[in-house]
Amino acid sequence: MKGSRVTFYPGVSQGTVNVDGVEVSYYDTGDKERGGAPIVLLHGTGGSAENNFAALLPMLSFRHRVLALDFVDDLPDSSGPLSVDHFVSQASAVIQRLSPGRPVTLVGYSLGAVAAAVVAAEQPELVGNLVLVAGWMKTDEHQKLRNSVWQQLHDSGSEALAEFMLLTAFSSRFVATRQPGELQKLLAGIKSAPSRARKMRLNRTVDISSKLSGIRARTLVIGCSDDQMAPIRHSHALFGAINDSRFVEISSGHAVVHERPAELFTRIDNFVQGHDSEDAGAVLAPVHA
Amino acid sequence: MNHTEIAATADSDPRDEHDPLRSVDVIIVGTGFSGLGMGIQLARENNKSFVMLERAADVGGTWRDNTYPGAACDIQSHLYSFSFRPNPDWSRVYATQPEILQYLQAAAREEGLVPHIRFGAEVLDARWDETQEHWTVSTPRGTFTGKSLVTASGHLSDAKFPNIKGIDSFSGEIFHSAQWDHDVQLEGKRIGVVGSGASAIQIVPEIAETAAELTVFQRSAPYVIPRLDYFYTDAERGMFRKFPHTAQAIRDELFWGNEARFPQRRGVPAFIDQITETADNHRKSQIADPVLYKKLTPNYAIGCKRILISNDYYPALTRSNVTLETDGISHIEGNTVVTREGERHELDVLVLSTGFEASDLPISHRIYGKGDVSLADHWGKGGQAYACTTVSGFPNLFVMLGPNTGLGAGSIIFMAETQISYIAGALKYMSENSVSSLEVRAEAEEEYVKTIHDRSQGTVWLSGGCESWYVDPRNGRLTTLWPDFMSQFRKENGTFRDDDYVVRARSDQSQPILAGGR
Repeated sequence: MKGSRVTFYPGVSQGTVNVDGVEVSYYDTGDKERGGAPIVLLHGTGGSAENNFAALLPMLSFRHRVLALDFVDDLPDSSGPLSVDHFVSQASAVIQRLSPGRPVTLVGYSLGAVAAAVVAAEQPELVGNLVLVAGWMKTDEHQKLRNSVWQQLHDSGSEALAEFMLLTAFSSRFVATRQPGELQKLLAGIKSAPSRARKMRLNRTVDISSKLSGIRARTLVIGCSDDQMAPIRHSHALFGAINDSRFVEISSGHAVVHERPAELFTRIDNFVQGHDSEDAGAVLAPVHA
Repeated sequence: MNHTEIAATADSDPRDEHDPLRSVDVIIVGTGFSGLGMGIQLARENNKSFVMLERAADVGGTWRDNTYPGAACDIQSHLYSFSFRPNPDWSRVYATQPEILQYLQAAAREEGLVPHIRFGAEVLDARWDETQEHWTVSTPRGTFTGKSLVTASGHLSDAKFPNIKGIDSFSGEIFHSAQWDHDVQLEGKRIGVVGSGASAIQIVPEIAETAAELTVFQRSAPYVIPRLDYFYTDAERGMFRKFPHTAQAIRDELFWGNEARFPQRRGVPAFIDQITETADNHRKSQIADPVLYKKLTPNYAIGCKRILISNDYYPALTRSNVTLETDGISHIEGNTVVTREGERHELDVLVLSTGFEASDLPISHRIYGKGDVSLADHWGKGGQAYACTTVSGFPNLFVMLGPNTGLGAGSIIFMAETQISYIAGALKYMSENSVSSLEVRAEAEEEYVKTIHDRSQGTVWLSGGCESWYVDPRNGRLTTLWPDFMSQFRKENGTFRDDDYVVRARSDQSQPILAGGR
């Protein structure tokens, strides 16, 4: 997405950090005398910071300094095959550049949650608060099966690929209740998104289960009830694995950043502000209007 | 239930001086959505005496008064209803006025509120008695005293009339949309509608069909988006009844959907572009005539004024018997409305859809706090309240849906319920600690209000280039709307804390003994 216009929020500044020979783009909403630790957003397989956080970043930026970056998965041969560790290095480099000496609230979504968990485990000095949204720790057979179908549709250039992604990314209720034209728009968005091929290959091999016990950050695990990509049992497992964690469920598909951005924002904001002062191990009550 | 049945069957003798509710713990003014909600809370708690003073002859507030043709809510009914009284039987997504009124009447009846209501009891004057430490409220039904006073008199409850030269001498029939005269026959008549806001766009399609001629006098064009209405099937209503969580899921989805629209109001381009495109497409698809299209294209940023939802307003304007007049009204002579360009419109009926008194709340002119200062004078430069609910100089007063509680996109019931929770907490605190006087500190109120005005900077309401009832003309401040997420309103204002209050306990008249700020 380099060079594209970022419509996140007026005043967001951009820059790059060189990490092992690749330029990683970042976005910074600026401090605006907001006091608290910056919030860093790590996107998922779906491609870019803007793609995933077009709604969440502006919402958070009304109250917080927000940073985001675009993971680079097109690496020079010398870097070896793409692994979670590459994303971990990229995220760490951006944090160290933009928030030196000041632990951040690290928010990872989907594959970004996998990377975020590893950053928190391996570099605890960087991460004060950790939020894992629709993440997972070890790819299971259900995920591999979906990944395999995706791969076959992708390799054969099938028109059905975008529909398959729509079907698996969103909750059935969300898809069923769209207005005429909206699904076409969503499909067009999926088709024009950056390629996910490299990350999909990486997704088949994820296993960070041995690292989670090292996480010391105060953690919020957010699982989505109708998630078909990283089904909610994975978030249950993350909650189980991380010592100082609390759990909240949002009624949504995996694409919670699109389906329920305001609820996601509210949960993160409450957590950061210490509004939901639940102890470790707590399951947060649902909020009803 | 017919319109006056509640009043006729349940109210006590208006002359009864032995009315057991003459002296109570809590006086609630108004029996619209917020007053009934507050009453239900007190009735369910069942540990405080309370009376509800209603100026009219029935409950329902806005939904009792606005009986104009086509009156309906712009917020989906599963959201625009009490969370603690879900209704699985809503007939459609956007219920119309009669159904909403029935919902409120049933709530009053089934929650046992009717014996607490005094109808025909308009508040003429409410005064804080510094010696007795209670509120004394005068009404045509006599005087009531209460330890606490809750005003639930609405923020869109008193009709606002336009200041047009000669309007008083209009020789035809004339009435405000919120005081619809159902005796006036509209069929075959020449009708004028002044205004193009939320009420007007519901009225116009309804009366356009039978009017001989209909002229709509528009000051500024509204943004209009599609109304995604839908009648629930029997199967769905049965499902909502048998599985209440399925209706709750819809409610939650609607709430978070509205909440996600807030960035539109803070000028986030991606959000603005999306909603502007929706409105533009709607206008393009329904208006072919380029002259009419131009007249209907707003000249301010979307969201600066309320975004309206309608599928039949634009089509009504394309009818051959309907004229959209945008030149502005100069004056009225006899039965003729004359525009600034000198165009003359002879009319039989003139409907004023010109909105409500929103910033200078009429009830504030009748409430007198410490030192006999009226709330209106206290608010002379614009309304404000701590936690959007309490006011310094006005002990034991709680204002519902007053300053900074309105919404650009969302259900006002959420705000009312948040205040119910706050007020119930305060009342509980007062009774548990034998508190006779609870008054917010002036500095705390100022400090709180400053945070609101800081947050309203950069919103489309202040910078969108329009004139609206959201902004108080006296100080240019956003005094009617809440300039943040609704969830944040609940976080800040849903739970009573005594920190910022001066508290006096009963039997102590000398000094605060329970001062907050511990």
